[in-house]
Amino acid sequence: MKLVVAVVKPFKLDDVKESLKTLGVHGMTVSEVQGFGRQRGHTEVYRGAEYEVEFVPKVRLEIVVDDTQVDEVTNAVVDAAGTGKIGDGKVWVLPVEDVIRVRTGERGSEAL
Amino acid sequence: MLAAAVSYVPYPSWLNPADNTWQLTAATFVGLMSLPGLAVLYASIVPKKWAVNVLGMMFAGFSLVMVIWFLYAYKLGFGANSFGGGVKDGVQTQLTGVGGWTHFIDNFWGKPGPITSPLGEQGQAISAANTSVPFHFPTSTLAYFQFVFAAITPLLFLGSVLGRIKFSAWCLLVPLWSTFVYTVDAFLLWGGGYFAQEGALDYSGGYVIHMSAGVSGFVAAWVLGPRLLRDRKHFLPNNLVMAAVGAGILWLGWNGFNGGDPYYAGADAASAVVNTNLSTAAALLTWVAMDAWLSKEKKPTFLGAVNGMICGLVGITPCAGWVNGQGAIYIGVICSAVVWVAWNFLSKVRPFSKVDDALGVIYTHGIAGFFGGLLLGIFGDPGMLQLGCGHLDPSGQVIATTATEFATAKGTCVPFSVNGLIYTGSAHQLWEQFRAAVFVIIWSALITFILMQLIKLVLRGVRYKDEILEVGDLAIHGEEAFPEEAFASRVGVGVGVGASSSEASGSGSPPDDPVPSGGSGS
Repeated sequence: MKLVVAVVKPFKLDDVKESLKTLGVHGMTVSEVQGFGRQRGHTEVYRGAEYEVEFVPKVRLEIVVDDTQVDEVTNAVVDAAGTGKIGDGKVWVLPVEDVIRVRTGERGSEAL
Repeated sequence: MLAAAVSYVPYPSWLNPADNTWQLTAATFVGLMSLPGLAVLYASIVPKKWAVNVLGMMFAGFSLVMVIWFLYAYKLGFGANSFGGGVKDGVQTQLTGVGGWTHFIDNFWGKPGPITSPLGEQGQAISAANTSVPFHFPTSTLAYFQFVFAAITPLLFLGSVLGRIKFSAWCLLVPLWSTFVYTVDAFLLWGGGYFAQEGALDYSGGYVIHMSAGVSGFVAAWVLGPRLLRDRKHFLPNNLVMAAVGAGILWLGWNGFNGGDPYYAGADAASAVVNTNLSTAAALLTWVAMDAWLSKEKKPTFLGAVNGMICGLVGITPCAGWVNGQGAIYIGVICSAVVWVAWNFLSKVRPFSKVDDALGVIYTHGIAGFFGGLLLGIFGDPGMLQLGCGHLDPSGQVIATTATEFATAKGTCVPFSVNGLIYTGSAHQLWEQFRAAVFVIIWSALITFILMQLIKLVLRGVRYKDEILEVGDLAIHGEEAFPEEAFASRVGVGVGVGASSSEASGSGSPPDDPVPSGGSGS
């Protein structure tokens, strides 16, 4: 099993979610995060004073999938989240040792 | 000149301190309905990425109307003389063509002009507006009272167009709309114009303000096109507690809105205040009950309660001091129920399903205002108030405040009451209300459409590009409603200014600094 982590534009969350649903992904965890990459931040102005905000709001998705699904899930995220402009985000994949469903105690792929 | 002689007398003979005090107080209440009432309400029920934009347009809109109002627009709506000569010195003087087109055109619009001179501000208010006594306060008082009404009207229909309209387009639309839509409706119904002469009535703006705002917002939203699909799918309020603050200011501010419209601090003002609250309470409860029993979710929602509240406030606005308390309750219940049904079902039918009226202004203001105005023709109680014949002589002194006096001084005058269907069996008032409503709807829609097209041409588009709409406040204003201080650091000139800050103090800490400079260090 693998953990697919994606940081994408908040505006693209709906598209990514719909795309993953069609692949039969059963669940994901989403959080609002702030970060920076190569996309520059922005400036804000309060009472004439300029503030630099290097962090940009993003949405972070965590999806645990079976090894066989990793490619299609990562491709789906990349396709759905992409706008072709800087700041589209990143996707990375980590190995997962075990998954346990709390309600039943099932383990491994069964618990996905 | 006589003008200079009276301008600096603290208490001119015609001035009644109680009337003046109440009128200025009522005006301030109505002003508070816009800032902060409506500004906070709208800014709280939009997603947080749009809050600053709403606030910016609210405050700019209020300011724009204020400036044009005193420079020329007040007189368009409430000047003592009409453009076509049908109203002169605050008295209706039409002699020919009564009932025909000449009558309509002669009594269509006031003569524009500034009211910023000493006499303009401090002379006695003169207008052909219906009131049972002449104005016992200066022009400034009447003009400011009318300004806060003029100002809140475009701010109401900001609810239809927010979430995509360009800030610059808004700043053009507000003064143009106030000039060409608001003052015309106001003169026709309030300034002694054609519909006022025909007998149509609007106590505080069911037609001139609310219905007109609803219709104009709807048309403007249609020209603008919808918000982004994502914004429509995720248009959640950012703070219901602040929405409650805005809504509460709106409700209690309405005591000035309706309570100020008799133009004197008398018995009818008190009735208007009580009736306003009765209607509003009944309407709020009606909406909550319908939500709880008839909606799919069967839950009494808070924003539903606010909608019901607004329906009651709007519905009673054209009627406030002309119906009795019982009538007020009926009006609240009917307006709330009608709008609830429209909100839930009419919204699925064309053209309502095709136009993105973001906050539903066409329902809570347009439809509620339309029905409130008609219901005056049904529930208007002739026992509440008699409208009279008072006017001023050329030197500004009040004469002829009763029918007999007026008849002696000026000729004929027939004081009249509001004759609702259920009290007199006559549908005449209802018919007059309906005619005026049809005109206000057509005029507001048509002129708003033309103005929006004009602005579109001048600014090459009235809406922002999609990439700006995706970001909202930050892209448009460079500000966020709830900025995160941890992520923002000040740059450029001004950083480190202020020797009192311990970081900038350089060598050693100031003598009264309780923390040693080598201490926590962070």
